[in-house]
Amino acid sequence: MTSKGFNRLMMVCLWIVLAFMYIPIVAIIGMSFNATDYGMFPYVFTVKWYETLFTTSNLLPACWQSIKFSLLVAVSALLIGTMTAYGLQYLSPKTAEKFNFFMKLPIIIPWLVMSISLLLLFSFIGSGRSYFAMYLGNLIVVLPYVVLLVNARFLDMDRTPEAAARLLGASPARVFLDVTLPGIMPGMLAGGLMALIMCFNNFTLQYYLIPTGLKGGNTLPVLVFTRIKSGYQADLNALSAIIVLIAVIIVIVFSRLGFSAGSLFGMSGGAKKKGE
Amino acid sequence: MKKRTNTLQPNALWTLPSAGMLLCLTIAPLVLLLIFSFMNRNLFAGQPWPGWTIGNITRIFQNAAFWKLLWKSLGIAAIVTVICIIAAYPAAWAIAKVVKPKNRNLLMMVVILPFFTSQLLLIYSMMNLIETGGLLLTLLDAIGIHNAESIMYTNKATILILTYEFLPYMILCLYSSMEGINDNLIHASLILGASKAKTFTNIVFPMSVPGLLSGILLVFVPVAGTFAEPNLVGGNGGMMVGSMINIQYKDNLNMGYGAVMACILLIVLCVIMAIVSYAAKRAQIHIGGEVE
Repeated sequence: MTSKGFNRLMMVCLWIVLAFMYIPIVAIIGMSFNATDYGMFPYVFTVKWYETLFTTSNLLPACWQSIKFSLLVAVSALLIGTMTAYGLQYLSPKTAEKFNFFMKLPIIIPWLVMSISLLLLFSFIGSGRSYFAMYLGNLIVVLPYVVLLVNARFLDMDRTPEAAARLLGASPARVFLDVTLPGIMPGMLAGGLMALIMCFNNFTLQYYLIPTGLKGGNTLPVLVFTRIKSGYQADLNALSAIIVLIAVIIVIVFSRLGFSAGSLFGMSGGAKKKGE
Repeated sequence: MKKRTNTLQPNALWTLPSAGMLLCLTIAPLVLLLIFSFMNRNLFAGQPWPGWTIGNITRIFQNAAFWKLLWKSLGIAAIVTVICIIAAYPAAWAIAKVVKPKNRNLLMMVVILPFFTSQLLLIYSMMNLIETGGLLLTLLDAIGIHNAESIMYTNKATILILTYEFLPYMILCLYSSMEGINDNLIHASLILGASKAKTFTNIVFPMSVPGLLSGILLVFVPVAGTFAEPNLVGGNGGMMVGSMINIQYKDNLNMGYGAVMACILLIVLCVIMAIVSYAAKRAQIHIGGEVE
């Protein structure tokens, strides 16, 4: 199992998997610079799709709509999520574990089921599809990520400086702002970013809860869904290339904040602690 | 030791807002889903409450198409999950055990990156690759394979795209478990004369079961309940149970009927996950003994 041949075979499998994952993405980026409207050949370099994207395309307004909406959701999730993670530290471990299980429900339940039950709820209370409904729906599915990541920071953090500050006479608010907050900041940044991405990308919930004729137009996932039904979209290729670039930057930020891919989804760490 | 009494610390009250949100925005809607299965008309904002019926339930048991689609969706979810497991095991192993430790986090970030570009862009990029006149068929034509047929608008396309979307999750889950396997255990097993296959079944597999289970949960459940992929690339015969539920809300407007379908889907998924996790834990203990 540790022999050279076996390891080489495993590496070949890894490269095949990575190629499978990246060939479609690289192809899209390539096509975004291709003047030929459909397909690949003849390949003529151009940036005109980027010009279209930033001038006449309806993708850009949708993008702004999504960015504004996701920022609103992410900031709210960050606020409530941080409060929750802080409170979790004062629950008994058993209660905290139960709480964390329930917290994960909104991401385990299939989004379609989650969406229609929320739609029924909002119809029941009389608001129906609305911006506020869409806001609450997206908030509840991104909240778990913030709680998870801030909670992880709390568990890693040394809490004695807080006790020391309190003994030395600092007010609870002062202790939180000057001692606790800087300690959990990386978790808050990663959690906020995660909430932002999850909200920006969540198609199903937005598709179900977005009101018709929303001021400023549809959000990006809803618009993209209706547009890709009709196949090749040159300006969408350009937008995809930009989004891939942003994803690269986001991944670098996560690494810099000290989060591994597994910890973003609450996976690694647990296994390690058990092994030691 | 004296058992500590459960006194609630005041700071614990900070969890209340999200506890309230969970109750109102997750638990209550699920309960409503169950209640609304007995609703005889549609429910609209501002209109009076419709009456009750058990008609939806009797109707669903006579609707052969629904059960057929439910089995088909579970089948597709199973196929996608198995393909993901087969592809992810070697890849996760390579990252966890073969690659230099300092490169592991970087590679995992590379694996998870496509996920951040969003579900729809992944669907779209794969659509462009496989459609008639797309890159794949153009290249096949160039190397002399002419008239190859595109798999676009078939169930195969749905399976391919779902696998493409969910593979990173499976690699992530398996990697997280394998990362924790001590290399010395594997060395010891091999030195003491166990075959590679035996080392896999007795050490690697049992210790990767927790990751495997969360991987199955993260792949099987969303795939079984999806509707966007079959809608976009499945073509006429590509419907899944999610598409049928979606139609009840978007086209037919039959909310109570759709609620019954969603309830059945949720119950079936819960039962399947319970069986899978029970079977995997039994297999873990049966093959590898108790794992600390």
